[in-house]
Amino acid sequence: MLRRNIIELRNLTKSYNDTVVVDAINLLIRENEFITLLGPSGCGKTTTLRMIGGFEDPNDGDIFFEGTRINNVPPYKRNINTVFQKYALFTHMNVYENIAFGLRIKKVPNDEMKKRVQRMLKLVDLEGFEKRHVDSLSGGQQQRVAIARALVNEPKVLLLDEPLGALDLKLRKEMQIELMDMQKNVGITFIYVTHDQEEALTMSDTVVVMNNGVIQQVGSPVDIYNEPENRFVADFIGESNILEGIMHEDFLVSFSGRKFRCVDKGFSKDEPVDVVIRPEDIDVTSPEDADLQGVVSSVVFKGVHYEMLVESGDFEYMIQSTDMQPVGAGIGLKFGPEDIHVMKRGSDNEK
Amino acid sequence: MGRHSKRAGALSILFMGLGQLYNRQIIKGCILAVAEALYIIMLLPYTLSCIKGLVTLGDTPQRMVNGKIIQGDHSIFMMVYGIIAIIVLFLFVVLYIINVRDAFKVGKNRDEKKKVNSYKDSLRNLSEKGFVYLLLTPAGVFTLFLTVVPLAFGVMIAFTNYSSPNHLPPRSLVDWVGFQNFINLFQIPSLGKTFAGIARWTLIWAFLSTFTTFFVGLVFAVIINANKIVLKKFWRSIFILPWAVPGFISILIMRNMFNGQFGPINKYLTSIGIGAVPWLAEPFWAQTTCILVNLWLGFPYYMAMMSGVLTGIPRDLYEAASIEGANARQQFFQITLPMVLFATAPLVINGFAYNFNNFTLIYLLTNGNPANNQYFYAGHTDILLSWLYKLTLEQNQYHMAAVVSIIIFVFITIISAFNYMRTRSFKEEDMVQ
Repeated sequence: MLRRNIIELRNLTKSYNDTVVVDAINLLIRENEFITLLGPSGCGKTTTLRMIGGFEDPNDGDIFFEGTRINNVPPYKRNINTVFQKYALFTHMNVYENIAFGLRIKKVPNDEMKKRVQRMLKLVDLEGFEKRHVDSLSGGQQQRVAIARALVNEPKVLLLDEPLGALDLKLRKEMQIELMDMQKNVGITFIYVTHDQEEALTMSDTVVVMNNGVIQQVGSPVDIYNEPENRFVADFIGESNILEGIMHEDFLVSFSGRKFRCVDKGFSKDEPVDVVIRPEDIDVTSPEDADLQGVVSSVVFKGVHYEMLVESGDFEYMIQSTDMQPVGAGIGLKFGPEDIHVMKRGSDNEK
Repeated sequence: MGRHSKRAGALSILFMGLGQLYNRQIIKGCILAVAEALYIIMLLPYTLSCIKGLVTLGDTPQRMVNGKIIQGDHSIFMMVYGIIAIIVLFLFVVLYIINVRDAFKVGKNRDEKKKVNSYKDSLRNLSEKGFVYLLLTPAGVFTLFLTVVPLAFGVMIAFTNYSSPNHLPPRSLVDWVGFQNFINLFQIPSLGKTFAGIARWTLIWAFLSTFTTFFVGLVFAVIINANKIVLKKFWRSIFILPWAVPGFISILIMRNMFNGQFGPINKYLTSIGIGAVPWLAEPFWAQTTCILVNLWLGFPYYMAMMSGVLTGIPRDLYEAASIEGANARQQFFQITLPMVLFATAPLVINGFAYNFNNFTLIYLLTNGNPANNQYFYAGHTDILLSWLYKLTLEQNQYHMAAVVSIIIFVFITIISAFNYMRTRSFKEEDMVQ
């Protein structure tokens, strides 16, 4: 399904006192998409979001909303709304007044206001909470009020700045699912900022990985995980073993002193490359019928699986397996051609 | 009820320590018995005569016999001794009750064939379980003598005729008059009028002086905290100065500045053709001057405090409001003002109570003047407290002063209690991080 673009960032740049925070990024955001800006803290994702929301002025570059340049449009005229990290609820008002705040400012008639607030309360599952003071609500409920307040204006785009950061793990997981459902129900674009890669993979249609103000990769969660474009993405998204290797020809790569068949192509002959193997893709076998041999150097129990470090040659592989091997055991490592992912050498996309 | 507990209880009622002796707690019993003996021998006669004095307030006035003054009874001293005697008696009764309960309890333990504590055990018990009470005892005694005695004395004065010229010890006696003073306050026209007039001005004064300092402080805080203002620290320091200088000095300087004839303000106004203003001479202007000077003195406090509150309001609240389309004015009235009011409301109530009793400013600035000849020893700018001062220290009308102070006390207590409850609810609300 092809969807229209709703927001376009062109060469967007922001710097504070000579420190470049966002470095000439280009991005297309489509209608009804759940898009996540993912990266470590200080990577420029929040600044990008704030520029889209209109709280920061870019130093350079343009923001287009449905084809119109909106650089100089004030926040409240942008048809974009924001859910803040700490909710930013008006603590001196009750739930109803918080949600109705914008409608009152816009002088929406009472009847309609009531209807719209009720609809929102129903959407976020807080019916009957109208008169409650926001301080008496739990973190998750406050979050819902913040979302309702943002959605009641019927924006076309909702910006969410690490909205689940303050919640505990279990509630966060529940809210992730609810946010995804809400996004489907209201059918608008969600631009979501997080540093939690698992959250990004769970919720998004599209993930934008950023580092040092530069976009590293844009793609679906599956692409991002399975086909990282560079060392940074491979390292940031999930656990990975990243080795240096040589691409001899299409479908043939060598590393750790051996040649392996793989499924990648399109590199020049004998090009130095980075090779990624995910810890869960490595099978543990007996040393005899394995590609590589190694010795277990540490074992950590992680709940679902054991995480083992295995020394083989001069590289230490991380392996995740449900079967534990004792420390010091000699084991074999085995992986298929589809488990090997070859990337261009170079640590990072930089300007 | 068992045999031992009954007997021990009864014996200890008869005389302190007998029950303990019956329970074979020899040392404890002896100590208690000696305590009661000492009280009866040394203090009881004196206590009784003091309490009698408190009731009669003396019956022999000072007399002249053959040109010599023969001292009579001093009613006010008798009243103080009487109060102290009652408190000592009260402490003795408390000890007596503890003694009976102890004897009864130990007796009960014996009935149930439990172990009877030795003297050492009792001491250890006291220092372990009774440690809190041991620590509190000095504080309790201090409270009784340093807080309860003066308080009771002040209240009692209101029910006497202790006043100049006819009831002023040591020359003459003071008598109990019941509620007559309270009745007089509302029935004698000059008194009633003075009280009503001064009470009204006190309330107006407390309200206006608090209100003006609060809002001017808020306005200054908002201006200084605005993003566009440079030299924030400089302005904050300059404006805090009136508050930092001792009020005593600035008020006296202000009194000279506003002087009707020689004050620089009137000289200036005359020189630019406006003419002299009777700043301290006419009732309305004198009241206005009080409020103006208090404003100048008082707003920096609120400014400093509200600066703190303002910086504590999260920035994203304003961003959230701006997304909703709230302009600067709407943001001020719907976010800044409510947040600041919520955080500082208890202080406003405190400020009200403070200004209600702001004796320093009134006394030093106007001394209650201009005088009002329809008032009972008071002027147009007198508040209740400065009137009290005049009644006691200048006119020796202690009985009426005590009545007024009881009324002030009740009023301030209500405000404080209200404030205290509100403050607690604010703490729970956790509004401004």
